[in-house]
Amino acid sequence: MTETVATKIDPAILPGSSATTDSTICMDVNNLNLFYGESRALTDVSFQMKKNQVTAFIGPSGCGKSTLLRCFNRMNDLVDSVRVTGEIILDGKNIYAPDVDVTSLRQRVGMVFQKPNPFPMSIFENVAYGLRLQGINKRRLLEEKVEWALKGAALWSEVKDRLSESALGLSGGQQQRLVIARAIAIEPEILLLDEPASALDPISTLKIEELIYELKSKYTILIVTHNMQQAARVSDETGFMYLGEMIEFGDTNKIFTNPAKKQTEDYITGRYG
Amino acid sequence: MKNPSLQVRYNRRAFKDRLARYFVASGGISVIIAILLIFFYLLYVVIPMFEPAEIRESASYRAPGDGKTLQLGLEEQGTVGVRFTSEGHVIFFKTDSGKIIRDENLHLPASITSVAANLNLVALALENGSVLAIRYKFDLSYPGDVRTLTPVLDYPLGKDPLVLDESGAALSHIDIQLSDDVVGVAATTNDNRLVFARYQREESFISGDISIELESRSEQPFQGEIYAVALTPGLDHFYASAENGRLFDYSLDEDGFDGKKRTYNLEHKITRLKLLLGGSSLLAGMENGEVQQWMSVRKDGGRELVYIRNFVKNRQAVSYIATEQQRKGFAVADNRGNITINYSTSQRTLASINTANTLVDQMAWSPRAQNLIVSDSNNLVHFYKVDNEYPEVSWDVLWEKVWYEGYDEADYIWQSSASTNEFEAKFSLMPLSFGTIKAAFYAMIFAVPIAIFGAMFTAQFMAPRMRQTVKPAIEIMEALPTVILGFLAGLWLAPYVETHLAGIFTLLIILPVGFLLCAWLWGFVPNKSAFEGWEAALLVPVVLLLIWISTALSSPVETLFFNGSLRNYMSNVWGLDYDQRNALVVGLIMGFAVIPTIFSIAEDALFGVPQHLVRGSLALGATRWQTMTSVVLPAASPGIFSAVMMGFGRAVGETMIVLMATGNTPVMDMSIFQGMRTLAANLAVEVPEAEVFSTHYRVLFLAALILFLFTFVFNTLAELIRHRLRQRYSEL
Repeated sequence: MTETVATKIDPAILPGSSATTDSTICMDVNNLNLFYGESRALTDVSFQMKKNQVTAFIGPSGCGKSTLLRCFNRMNDLVDSVRVTGEIILDGKNIYAPDVDVTSLRQRVGMVFQKPNPFPMSIFENVAYGLRLQGINKRRLLEEKVEWALKGAALWSEVKDRLSESALGLSGGQQQRLVIARAIAIEPEILLLDEPASALDPISTLKIEELIYELKSKYTILIVTHNMQQAARVSDETGFMYLGEMIEFGDTNKIFTNPAKKQTEDYITGRYG
Repeated sequence: MKNPSLQVRYNRRAFKDRLARYFVASGGISVIIAILLIFFYLLYVVIPMFEPAEIRESASYRAPGDGKTLQLGLEEQGTVGVRFTSEGHVIFFKTDSGKIIRDENLHLPASITSVAANLNLVALALENGSVLAIRYKFDLSYPGDVRTLTPVLDYPLGKDPLVLDESGAALSHIDIQLSDDVVGVAATTNDNRLVFARYQREESFISGDISIELESRSEQPFQGEIYAVALTPGLDHFYASAENGRLFDYSLDEDGFDGKKRTYNLEHKITRLKLLLGGSSLLAGMENGEVQQWMSVRKDGGRELVYIRNFVKNRQAVSYIATEQQRKGFAVADNRGNITINYSTSQRTLASINTANTLVDQMAWSPRAQNLIVSDSNNLVHFYKVDNEYPEVSWDVLWEKVWYEGYDEADYIWQSSASTNEFEAKFSLMPLSFGTIKAAFYAMIFAVPIAIFGAMFTAQFMAPRMRQTVKPAIEIMEALPTVILGFLAGLWLAPYVETHLAGIFTLLIILPVGFLLCAWLWGFVPNKSAFEGWEAALLVPVVLLLIWISTALSSPVETLFFNGSLRNYMSNVWGLDYDQRNALVVGLIMGFAVIPTIFSIAEDALFGVPQHLVRGSLALGATRWQTMTSVVLPAASPGIFSAVMMGFGRAVGETMIVLMATGNTPVMDMSIFQGMRTLAANLAVEVPEAEVFSTHYRVLFLAALILFLFTFVFNTLAELIRHRLRQRYSEL
């Protein structure tokens, strides 16, 4: 992690660091490499992510897009023998710096997984979970925040009468929106969505997509998806990844209509993947 | 299926499938059948204990010979009866027909005024103030292979009547106690005196001659009327029932009446007094049909009669009480001919019958209480067969406090055998159940925290590579034969703990303090992430070091604070008694035996909590500990609960360790420094020596049934919860 140390000495002399001064930039990824033991999963990934925009990552299975997503809240740390080099600058600070508190990072960078994973608790407690972790225990405050988060996740009208029932009784689409509500309840800055609609039926998928569009005004959203139409519909910028490399990154319209790289074009026209 | 070879293959496959299905099904069903068989066999052995006794009349005839019946007796098998008549004859007869076998005239110098009987000894009190004691016996011989009983009369106090009252007054009530060398005779005279005489008796080995020498004779006057008397076998108390329901208790010593007299008020007229086998209990039959049992209990330095329990199945004035010769049972007859069969300790009235329909004036048991012979005021003799194998057991005897003879209060007592014939087995299952729970409780106190915290660490924090060796290693501990653990507990750990008692307690302080110290120091170690998940391995030498320190500190600590020995200090200063084989030792070793069970199941439950829940929690910014306590633990809680239940079930059923390390004392004391006896250990100890199908044997089977049900219920509950858990997580 020599790069990290360098960043600390003088961020200004490093390429890309200057971008953090730009108020529209949310995160700045520089030469990110990730190794699972000896095998390299990400190779020199660099790009910049804009605030209050939806950024989508597309690419064939195993291209490393989910791995990349997990780098932003350091969920990869949970995997044994993972090694990360390069840097991700959030608010002028590398999130892989040794003095970074991972738990507070994760409170700033929320994540929603492919499969809905509500806890075996009531709907209310699921949403309140993250708040309780932060030591918020006042009933009034919790109720306000839970209602706000459920409304934000477009779930309030469906569950407001059964908040004390088990979350496991909800449908798949409802569960996924509940998980989103749980993530936004702690008011993160960035929301990572890892194929959030892949396990859902078309109607639920539509609802999630509408939700993503609405959430954009408050949060910076990163979404990994298999579904290119979905990426085209919801995202402002798109990155195409292939074999651990960021092949092309740019405006969604441009990527889907006029890609600069042949590999991108092959993928979006369905020639492989 | 047109291809025949394919058809053959298909058929063969279907056949194999069917075969496997039947095989598995029959295996499963036979397991269930085996368990049911065990259950029903236990039940089959236990149930007869709670069935009522049976009594039926097998013969009834006019009293053989002439005169009124003064006393009845029976031979061991109940085939021959004996009858003492008012005309001074002793008549032996067949009990089935009343046919006279032998009629012996005693040629008494005066008429008989009262009779007392004690087993096969009969004392006849005469009108001239003298007493004749007669023992009837039956010599058994097999001439021509036919069992033949020859009645014999024997005079333990000599053939001539012994003069009890020198003034020659008629003796209205009498009782006699005879031991090898001392004879006591107590009587009332018709001129209102109580007379007690004590004799030394010597029997010459060579000639068989008997010499009787008067040791003391004393008397006391009394007012009013006496209805019944009883003399204790120890010749120290003489009970007499007087008017207005009063019972007099005269103390006696070697010189006769010592002047002390207590009076008890039983409120109703006492018509009969009789001592139960052993002589510590006095049965008082009353005018209203009630029979009260009073017991001689130590109180304020002396002995006092205390009301223990009563029997109220007879509604008419009690006319006779016949006590069993080998147990604490008795039959009560009243003046309408109702006969009830009772048992003192269990307070049960086991059977009743009425075939006389008139006053019953005499009764006698055969020595084994299988026959009862009765004579009524119409001079009829009734011969009953009694089937009363298990009178000693009742719900109260098993589970409630019972006041046994020789104890100062009612208590839960398990004592199944002793050396004397008068001993009564005490079958309270409470001390055993208590011991079982106590042993399991202390084992769980030790095992549950270690096993569950260990499982929590192993499942969620330990490096996967370390987990791969740690988990099987702990599970292998389960296969350790418990006899070895018990052996270690009894022969190594128990004496070790006794000598290093202070060390054991310092360990309780040093271990957590040492851990916290280590955790604090660990904060200064650079590059900690290299050891992530291996912290436990690093802690092993620390634990060993701390154990060594505390054992090394043991003797200095004892010298410094406890005058050299914590054990003595505890018993002298705090009044805590210390058994070498105690709950502490059992808790440690049985806890050690139970840990693998709890650990293994709890670890499975914790490890089985789906990773996406863990990740979901971590992604919300939870620390690993927060994730553990608020997501993993609640989700795994049914599994952990079932693990604890399984562990408890195992601890309850565990035999070898408790057998070897508890001292097997059936006491009810929760103290960690006292031993206990568990149901399982009790079975192991006593089943081999219990007489098959005796009460003791059946009570042991009852204990086995309880143990079986206990572990069965616990394991079933645990399994049900585990099953529900599995269903719940299939949704996640």
